[in-house]
Amino acid sequence: MHRLGRMMARIPWRWWRRFTQAVFLVGFLWLFRHAELRGDDVPGYVNLPFRLDPLIAASAMLAAKALIATLLLSLIVVALTIVVGRAFCGWICPLGTLLDWLGPIARLFRKRTGPGGRRWRPIRYWLLIAILIGAVLGLPLVGYFDPFSLLQQGMTFAIDPALRSGADAGFGWLYFNASESVTDVSEPVYAFLKEHILAVERTAYIGAGIATGILIVIFLLERVQPRFWCRNLCPLGAMLGVIARFAPFGRKPMKACPGCGECAHTCRMGAFDEHNRLEPQACTVCMDCVDSCPHRIAQFLWFLPKKRAATPATRQGAPIDLSRRSFIGACAVGAALPAGYAAARATGIVPGNVALIRPPGALLDDDFLDLCVRCGQCMKVCITNGLQPVIFEAGPTGVFTPRLIPRTGYCEYNCTLCGEICPTGAIRPLPLEEKQQIKIGKAVFDEDLCLPYAESEPCIVCEEHCPIPEKAIKLTQVEVEVDSEDGPSTIVLQQPSVDEDLCIGCGICEHVCPLEGLAGVRIESLRDEAARE
Amino acid sequence: MNEDMNVNRRRFLEQVAAWSAGVAATAPVFRIASAQAPAAGGSPSMLAVAKGKDYDELVGTVLEPLGGMKAFVSRGDRVVVKPNIGWDRTPELAANTHPEVVKGLVQQALDAGAKEVLVFDRTCNEARLTYKNSGIKEAVESIGDKRASCPFIDERKWMPVKIEKGKIVKEWRLYADAIRADCYINVPVAKHHAIGRLTLGLKNVMGVMGDNRGKIHRKLGQSLADLNLAVAPKLTVIDATRILLRHGPTGGNLEDVKVLDTLIASPDMVAADAYATTLFDMKPEDIPATVAGHEMGIGEIDLKKVKIVRV
Repeated sequence: MHRLGRMMARIPWRWWRRFTQAVFLVGFLWLFRHAELRGDDVPGYVNLPFRLDPLIAASAMLAAKALIATLLLSLIVVALTIVVGRAFCGWICPLGTLLDWLGPIARLFRKRTGPGGRRWRPIRYWLLIAILIGAVLGLPLVGYFDPFSLLQQGMTFAIDPALRSGADAGFGWLYFNASESVTDVSEPVYAFLKEHILAVERTAYIGAGIATGILIVIFLLERVQPRFWCRNLCPLGAMLGVIARFAPFGRKPMKACPGCGECAHTCRMGAFDEHNRLEPQACTVCMDCVDSCPHRIAQFLWFLPKKRAATPATRQGAPIDLSRRSFIGACAVGAALPAGYAAARATGIVPGNVALIRPPGALLDDDFLDLCVRCGQCMKVCITNGLQPVIFEAGPTGVFTPRLIPRTGYCEYNCTLCGEICPTGAIRPLPLEEKQQIKIGKAVFDEDLCLPYAESEPCIVCEEHCPIPEKAIKLTQVEVEVDSEDGPSTIVLQQPSVDEDLCIGCGICEHVCPLEGLAGVRIESLRDEAARE
Repeated sequence: MNEDMNVNRRRFLEQVAAWSAGVAATAPVFRIASAQAPAAGGSPSMLAVAKGKDYDELVGTVLEPLGGMKAFVSRGDRVVVKPNIGWDRTPELAANTHPEVVKGLVQQALDAGAKEVLVFDRTCNEARLTYKNSGIKEAVESIGDKRASCPFIDERKWMPVKIEKGKIVKEWRLYADAIRADCYINVPVAKHHAIGRLTLGLKNVMGVMGDNRGKIHRKLGQSLADLNLAVAPKLTVIDATRILLRHGPTGGNLEDVKVLDTLIASPDMVAADAYATTLFDMKPEDIPATVAGHEMGIGEIDLKKVKIVRV
């Protein structure tokens, strides 16, 4: 036992940390993989990352001006940070882990240049302040800066679909072109990948390029400084940093030793200030400085209350690296942005919520925009791939919120997954019977395109697919004159029309309309009508 | 079946194999002319009708007069059982083939020595929910035989097929597993349909069609007959254990469902469809697909010329 203990003690901290990072990254990826219908159901816990995120929780609750019970889990991360500082960033955050591990690729052919400049550091506070004030005043920003949201957007809209399509193309080519001895191996491999690694279905998303672009920029910034995102930009990191100042756990000595400074040089967060003193709001407790200390002086210890009093210049004295003037400025801008946005919308220059088909159970209009954290999980879980990210169709604040595009996929009658997975309640979880009654839009026939009207050709594919038991699409028999080779003749046709009382706007009619391009029946929003709700 | 047809069919399957293996780049061509098709000569079509409450068992009963499953499946065959798994509806709503009927057929094919039994359909609703809520995936898996499976459609397996004698559909992408099967068993459920009047055996071919299959509704009956030339089921079993009288093909309301506890089986798809039509108090000639199928020589529409055995 003692020997085992000694052996464990000899393992450098960085290996414990890497192991922990790996566990949480795999966990994150596992949850990502299971946030889709594989087997009988989607487990309820797949949205855990977003429920653990205190920045998401704070901004959603500020926006809703109410307590959101499902998000109280984030208190776990707050508690962790109160106790051990920003360890979340160093040991748990999947984006941080990916940057740690992929950063060296971005830094290829670049000489090591030490801890790097400090001039960008206040940005994260500005963002944090703007997000929180914006949340109160109706300018939703968290989804564009929260690390979980950004990572999930890029993975959902771009990386995951690309991997699946790539594998399909590759193994498909083998399947049709390679000899049987090859396919005997490749087909089981492909089956395994589909079962465990790849997305369950082939999907595609609008805005994939934008979401990837954001991730690529975050990745390339690694070339400027390691963990550039985490030290300078991440508003969640800023929030945890503010809390971390009170943590009773931290490095001793606080200062890098004069004449050595290896720790300050090694620090991936550049957490040592101009006076070579470690800032707890920047330190992610990665323990690199403990491992790399040539004199084995550095260690992380509990600061007991008595000792803390004895070291007044250390813990609580550590100032937030944001000047008072900057703070006031950031608050002013944070307040001015929503006001300016509201004014611009009032003038009509900036489009507000235009007519979009939102998921069933989505809150109305601004309430929806305020509470949606752009995590993209509803779009990932949507079984028909019909929920797609909005780009600028709903104004500047609608980006990456979900809308239904029936040509891509429709709202499946027996599915309630988007409401079940939404971490904030922006899409309410609805029992199936209730969801089947909710009108998300209404079908409207375009008689200039629809075949039985425009071309006098028989077609009832929309009526055939309509899932309403009494059929919300009704067929009327009409006799029409047509010109055939033998001169004019009369044929009997069935022309479709919508029973607006029955139609719930699920969009399967638009989805299956056999016309290429624009469908002959399309779903229109009920946004302006009291019919919704 | 006459000899010409067998020879042609064999040549077609060789082309299919070549195309699948990547040896041939051109689409397989299906050349069988209507004049060469079975009903033109030979013995009259045989059709069996069985009634009973235990649908699993009823499958064996209805196949007996036709010589049992062994008449259709040989040892080592790759068998496809193609039910209607179109809609995200539960079994009692009669939108899909009854899972017990499918299970019974799969079991029979396994007992007859099939090497592999595949059950699949290109669903109209989302595939995962449809396979699950139809009860069919679970029914097939409950047999617990590794040779039988109910896989989802593999998007890579759509294969262009030229139908030389087709009048409207001359080329379409069809599902490779369906075309390649040694024995293809067609298991539709009998339902109301607004444009085809009823959806029966010939209509069930739509489940192995790729691409924008909704297009063919413009001339549905003839198109279905064309496509069935290429798919050519060896056996058609129509599930009329319960039939959907209105609001088809999706249904969703038990008031539209009528329980008949009946199965119809025949190697002649047109005859099976013709008989099923009478269950709806309609005439076989009312169904455009049945008429077109008969005209193309796929089978016999006149039930007086069919040998019907009731068990």
